[in-house]
Amino acid sequence: MADSGGLMSVKRCDSLNSSSVSMETITALTELEDLERVYQQLCSEEKDVEVALDKLVDQQGLINTKMMTLQRMGPNLQLIEGDASQLSGMITFTCNLAENVSRKVRQLDLAKTRLYKVIQRADDILDLKFCVDGVQTSLRDEDYEQAAAHIHRYLSLDQSVIELSRQGEEGGSVDASLLMLQEAEQKLKVVVAERLDAAVAAVDLVQVERFFKIFPLLGLHEQGLARFGQYLCSQLASKAGENLLLATGGDVNEKRAPLVFAETLTLLLEGIARVVETQQPIVETYYGPGHLYTLIIHLQQECDRQAQKIVDKFIQQRDYHSKFQVVQNSMMKSPVPTERIEPRELDPVLMEVTLMNARAELYLRFLRRRMMADLEVGDAQSTTQEHQQNVEKLLKHCLLSTTMQELIGYYIPMEEYYMRESVNKAVAMDSHEKGQLTSSMADDCFYIVKKCISRALSSANIDCLCAMINHSTSALESDFREVLYNKLRQGYPATTLQDFQRGVSSAVSLMQSSLQQGKFNALGIESTEDAKAAFLVTLNNAEVCSENITTLKRNLENDCSKLFTQGPASGDRAKIDSCLSDLVNTSSKFKDLLQEGLTELNSTAIKPQVKPWITAFLSVSHNIEEEEFNEYEANDPWVQQLIVNLEQVMVEFKTGLTSASYDTLTSLMTSLVAIEMEKTVLKCTFSRLGGLQFDKELRSLVAYLTTVTTWTIRDKFARLTQMATVLNLERVTEILDYWGPNSGPLTWRLTPAEVRQVLALRSDFRSEDIKRLRL
Amino acid sequence: MSMEDYDYLFKIVLIGNAGVGKTCLVRRFTQGLFPPGQGATIGVDFMIKTVEIKGQKVKLQIWDTAGQERFRSITQSYYRSANALILTYDITCEDSFRCLPEWLKEIEQYANSQVVTILVGNKIDLAEKRAVHRHRAQDFAESQSMVYLETSAKESDNVEKLFLDLACELIREAKQNKLDNSDAAPMLGEGKSISYLSCCSIN
Repeated sequence: MADSGGLMSVKRCDSLNSSSVSMETITALTELEDLERVYQQLCSEEKDVEVALDKLVDQQGLINTKMMTLQRMGPNLQLIEGDASQLSGMITFTCNLAENVSRKVRQLDLAKTRLYKVIQRADDILDLKFCVDGVQTSLRDEDYEQAAAHIHRYLSLDQSVIELSRQGEEGGSVDASLLMLQEAEQKLKVVVAERLDAAVAAVDLVQVERFFKIFPLLGLHEQGLARFGQYLCSQLASKAGENLLLATGGDVNEKRAPLVFAETLTLLLEGIARVVETQQPIVETYYGPGHLYTLIIHLQQECDRQAQKIVDKFIQQRDYHSKFQVVQNSMMKSPVPTERIEPRELDPVLMEVTLMNARAELYLRFLRRRMMADLEVGDAQSTTQEHQQNVEKLLKHCLLSTTMQELIGYYIPMEEYYMRESVNKAVAMDSHEKGQLTSSMADDCFYIVKKCISRALSSANIDCLCAMINHSTSALESDFREVLYNKLRQGYPATTLQDFQRGVSSAVSLMQSSLQQGKFNALGIESTEDAKAAFLVTLNNAEVCSENITTLKRNLENDCSKLFTQGPASGDRAKIDSCLSDLVNTSSKFKDLLQEGLTELNSTAIKPQVKPWITAFLSVSHNIEEEEFNEYEANDPWVQQLIVNLEQVMVEFKTGLTSASYDTLTSLMTSLVAIEMEKTVLKCTFSRLGGLQFDKELRSLVAYLTTVTTWTIRDKFARLTQMATVLNLERVTEILDYWGPNSGPLTWRLTPAEVRQVLALRSDFRSEDIKRLRL
Repeated sequence: MSMEDYDYLFKIVLIGNAGVGKTCLVRRFTQGLFPPGQGATIGVDFMIKTVEIKGQKVKLQIWDTAGQERFRSITQSYYRSANALILTYDITCEDSFRCLPEWLKEIEQYANSQVVTILVGNKIDLAEKRAVHRHRAQDFAESQSMVYLETSAKESDNVEKLFLDLACELIREAKQNKLDNSDAAPMLGEGKSISYLSCCSIN
């Protein structure tokens, strides 16, 4: 069984098209069961075959129609074939034709180019002959321009053509011509060089320019520029020498004497700039673009020499180095008293240095612009980058630049010294006029700082400017802020009234502490009133300083953008911005100082006075009946007096402080009142009418405080107002109308425990009811 | 400033003799370049790079100063506001190492007392020309309680590490005295202490 089953399945796999069971298998079957199974299988196969046959028969019609169509298409195909072969023939013909034509054209073209070359060569040979003749006559007539033009023509001839010509039949005569030309060229070079040298020596501008123009024709660009540069340099040198002599020997009382070296340098640089301006077109025309750089290299050497002379004289006559030495010694804060220099004495020399640097910067910028423009005309982008680097190198590392950098290097510490000393002086000479909110030093210091930074800015050196901004920042932040800080640390003196209220003992301790701190009282120089005024003035100073710094920064930003519009690298801009942002950060440090001072003022001058006035609330019973309530209505027991007192205590600050500071102080006072009130109220007991009375009192107080401050105080009194609401309830459970889901827009600032605490202040509320409340 | 997107802002100033490779270190770190034939720096150059350290954005303002004497008064003005100074010398140049005490004197005089100073020996790619032995520099740095690191701007060795380690140290200091350090933005909560010299990764 199992065997036959396996056999059958193998068979089925082997032949799927014919029957899966072979005749032999069937005849070999002996069991009925097997026979039936095989029979069944054969029957189902038969059915499958029939279905497949039916399908094939169905397709016959379709195939017939397709066959018909194909037969009909036969004749058409023959037609198409004929057309295609005809087309192919035409194309081949056209192609051949085209190739024939183009071959002829190519031949023609070749002939044409050869013809041109022949003409060119003939021309060249003619030219050569013409040149030979021309050069001879020109040289004889001393018409060097003409001769040079001929040589130039010869030089621009194709050397290979000349070589070819020599091999031709006329080789001999061409050779002779060439020899003559070469001789003439050498001769001309020598003559022109001699003549130019002679003209330079004779300072004959017309002749110099004449021969200068000939050099490029002979291919001697470098030599021409060098000789011409030499001539210009000698001109500049003699002029500069004269100017320097005038400057050093000039009348000291002259109006421009303080800036005489800056002026001399200006004359030198302007002179060179003028030379560049006038010679640029000549150089460009006769030497072609890109050669200005070479000329400027020559000029710059002389510029460096002359500038160095001027600077040396400046250093010598202005005692620049010794002044610097004195400044540096006094900045070192050496314990030994050293020679000091009056800052005002430095004023002129500092101005002169910045002016010199500004001129040099202007001059270098001018050169950069000119050279770049010249180079851009000259070449395509390919080499520009390299040339640009050369130009930068020339300008940044020329002696003029480094000399100026050295001068600025000395200038910065001197300017810093000038600033610090002047600020110290302004602080020492500080004076306060009655009726003024600030004292003189607040504005004086800023005048000085501004002056120093502006001077640094006028040097047109960005690093110098940044360094001075940095120094200003540190001078303001450490030195000047320290001055204000120390003044504020002396504190605000207590008033006599306050002493009285505090009692004798506290007054004594106050005296003692004053003595310990070495304050004004002990010295007996300043009266209490003066000390008070000084404290307020210092606060105002701090505020003004904070504002001044912001203004200073804004002004500097404007000035910088104006001065550096010619587009300094974006890095420079970022440098300045970073330094300025450091500067403006000090503004907030002064603001912090002011805030500290006001807090101090509030806690030493206002708090001790306000506290007893508020505590007085305790002595006014709020556990009252109708009768007392009416009495209070007629004669206010407390709040009006408080308002009068507050008004009084604040009035001196209102006149003594700037309005912004006064506002801040009032706000601090208001918070103080709110906190003290809250503490006090929690110590009282209230009846229903007492609660009403308190509500009335609170309203008056809030109304008054609202009028004296521009800040909103509602928030500060929110807790107190809610306490008043609680104290005004009819019944304990009425709180639930305002609490939780019923609170509406009201946000409770009191915790449930606090609400219970306040409710307990009502003498008529039972504590069991309060406890039972679900909050 | 506060609107900008960073958690910390630090000023780093590079100082040291002329030609020791300060500009190359900065260029390597900020732009990934090693510009050969770099001219001497004029005055100061200014670069910014923002890095991320442990998920915090740290903006580094890097001031690259000129080493030449005549710019000294300009560069000194930047010491005071610096959070960190990178004192650089050239390991192939004995002279640049011998000048270090002078530089330290300047730092003492002009920088604020909390400044972090790190000593860097640059140009270790030129090992065959080394003139200052590593131990000598290490000892010197230790005697001045500075961290010492050797770098090569050319081969980009330790350059990243130098700046990132420094940033880590500055963050640590800022967290320690956040009240004193006004340059750093306020920090919420006290961070975990970071062990120095091994903590950094750019996330």
